[in-house]
Amino acid sequence: MSKKFFQHASLWLSLGTVLVIGLWPIVTHNALNRETAFTVLSAVALASSLNILLGYTGYVSFGHVVFFGFGGYVGFYTINVLGWNIWMAMLAGGLAAALLAYLLGVAILRLRGAYFALATIGINEAVRAFINNFAPFGGPTGMTLNFKIYKAYGGAMHALQLVFYIMVGLTIIVTILSYWVRTSKFGLGLLAIREDEDAAEVMGVITPSAKNWAFVLSAIIPGMVGAIYFFKNGTIEPGLAFPLRTSIEMIVMIMLGGQGTVLGPILGAAGYETMRDYLLVSPLFKNLQLAISGVLLLLIVLFIPRGLVGWLRQRYPKVRRWLI
Amino acid sequence: MRRKLYILIGILLVAGMVLAACGKATPTSAPAPKASESSQNNAPAKTSAPSAKEITVTIGFTQSKTGKYNEESTRQSDGLDLWIKQINDQGGIKLSDGTVVKFKAVSYDDESSGDKVQQLYTRLITKDKADFLISPYSSGLTSSAAIISEQYGKIMLATGAASDSIFKKGYERVYQLYTPASHYLTGAVDLLQSLDPNVKKVAFIYENSKFSTAVVKAAKEYAEKKGYDVVMFEGYDKGTTDFGSFINKIQDSGAEAVMGGGHFQDGSTLARQIYEKKLPIKYLALLVAPPDPSFADLGDAALGVVGPSQWEASANYSPESAKAAGLTWFGPTSADFVKAYKAAYNEDPDYHSAGGYVAGLVLQKAIMDAGSVDPAKVKAALDKMDILTFFGHIKFNTTDAHGLQIGHEMIYIQWQKKDGKLVKEVVWPKEGATAAPLYPLKH
Repeated sequence: MSKKFFQHASLWLSLGTVLVIGLWPIVTHNALNRETAFTVLSAVALASSLNILLGYTGYVSFGHVVFFGFGGYVGFYTINVLGWNIWMAMLAGGLAAALLAYLLGVAILRLRGAYFALATIGINEAVRAFINNFAPFGGPTGMTLNFKIYKAYGGAMHALQLVFYIMVGLTIIVTILSYWVRTSKFGLGLLAIREDEDAAEVMGVITPSAKNWAFVLSAIIPGMVGAIYFFKNGTIEPGLAFPLRTSIEMIVMIMLGGQGTVLGPILGAAGYETMRDYLLVSPLFKNLQLAISGVLLLLIVLFIPRGLVGWLRQRYPKVRRWLI
Repeated sequence: MRRKLYILIGILLVAGMVLAACGKATPTSAPAPKASESSQNNAPAKTSAPSAKEITVTIGFTQSKTGKYNEESTRQSDGLDLWIKQINDQGGIKLSDGTVVKFKAVSYDDESSGDKVQQLYTRLITKDKADFLISPYSSGLTSSAAIISEQYGKIMLATGAASDSIFKKGYERVYQLYTPASHYLTGAVDLLQSLDPNVKKVAFIYENSKFSTAVVKAAKEYAEKKGYDVVMFEGYDKGTTDFGSFINKIQDSGAEAVMGGGHFQDGSTLARQIYEKKLPIKYLALLVAPPDPSFADLGDAALGVVGPSQWEASANYSPESAKAAGLTWFGPTSADFVKAYKAAYNEDPDYHSAGGYVAGLVLQKAIMDAGSVDPAKVKAALDKMDILTFFGHIKFNTTDAHGLQIGHEMIYIQWQKKDGKLVKEVVWPKEGATAAPLYPLKH
């Protein structure tokens, strides 16, 4: 068995996890499961994207939701005002987020450690303030889709179904992207930057461009997720599009599952979302759910700080070959 | 080293989340409407006719038990719970065919954020089999929920959501109970005109949020149509605490009247600073903050400030005023509602509470008119509805903006002094006034 096979085993495991979540509502044919799977998959896509920057490159972005919100706004605008269809809007959202990431990257990726983290928080707030005063995007009132728009997709029922399939597709793409980055030479450069940026530069990694591309790659999918999320939501406004809490939750999901691994953010996001959903609706906990999820996270981070996959890799050295 | 850094970041993150959660999570012992669950066993004893059957209708909604809308949303669902309890305690609604309808509520926490609303409403419809829906609190969450309710063909009564835009987007089964944002301040313009036709220069200063921007845009248009000269129209960011530069600008503009505001905190700060700076204006009307009883804590700065309210306990809508206006009266009087609410929750109801209660009341009337709980028949009854309740006139648009509230009118209150104490008086519309308006503003 070659090393390649074991590396691929990790990809199949990751894709398998995503597919199980994606097929669950289709097999059970249940709208509620579909809604639940949608939120889980969007969390997986966001966390896996951020992992490219946070896990592989070692740059903690506290404002990553800015790409979700910005892509969402651009996508929503193209649907609502320009009359584009969801596919074009999704592409527009992804490209807009990538462009934003590129421009931001040039400016702030020179910062390291805590300074970079602080700058990303500032950017989220700055973009929110900009949108709040940007009349074409509706300013503080935001925009609302006409219900008739869903008719083009065979009614709202079919539109929501379609959006779910797109989300499954996006999550599969982000999983493959994450795996590709992790196993490519480009990704090796990122890992080197994570371990020691100066040493990486000496070894021949062109760090400014590598970091910038990592930033761009980690922004595209959140932009596309934003576009389809707000198409489904039917309404967008600055408060909904740039929630700082979601940014923090993305980091928590990555840390739960294991940063810098392909499978980790997927498991972390799925586990975190499932737990939140359970606590939110269980009759016993529904009044206390935020406090309980906080305590659970505290325990997990205290006792398995490397996350689930990181812990498995440390505890069972044999699995290291294929669990990445 | 790096590992330790990550652990530290992780612990800080989680500690922050725990703190945030503990700070806001208020485990409320919701007054569970238990009556409906046991009712099925008791029913046959009460009704002797063999044809009479009893059904329990499930009302589904999300409530912001945590997060920024917690207070308003809790009052709203307290109001709704009170209505459910009253109906079930009096033995349900009897329909013309003898069927007895009782109600039960199912609700979840939406955390005041939009990301779970659609999932929870799908759950309410598919899993909890909710027959009718009540909207979450706030326009933003309501527009997210509306798509789901419309998709499943469920009727949703939107209370606590004043935005106009939701109702101009082709929804057929969403019904608004609040006066829409576009009419929030128009009455304040009318009041000013009736007080002093010589005032011509108006300044608008408002919070940059979905709700207040929608309100002032409509008010500006209305004021211009009425011949006013809008000399300033400027927004401030959420959380602004120093209005000094804005106040100087108002003074420079020569405005004689100021309107705007946003929510409680900024509105009361603005009123206080206008008072402290002795801004020479004759009239001040602000959103949201003035109707709140704690606005009186501002002391003399509150004197003369006008504010719109969806409902006030002192507003005198009564069976007599219904007769005078040629409308059908339905439900309890304001006094009865206030008494029952105080007995149940040991606090005075505000307009959010009344909004929650009236959502139930309107549903009750629609079911009674329809003589059935069939959604199509109830929808037809809602479309036809034209009643006066303690909350005011309820009538829905059925043409270009289906479901938009067109009957209900805002009440304008003003803080006045009686025996040296600040009291809240209704000053507009004239039919509901409890005192003559205080004019001009004395600073």
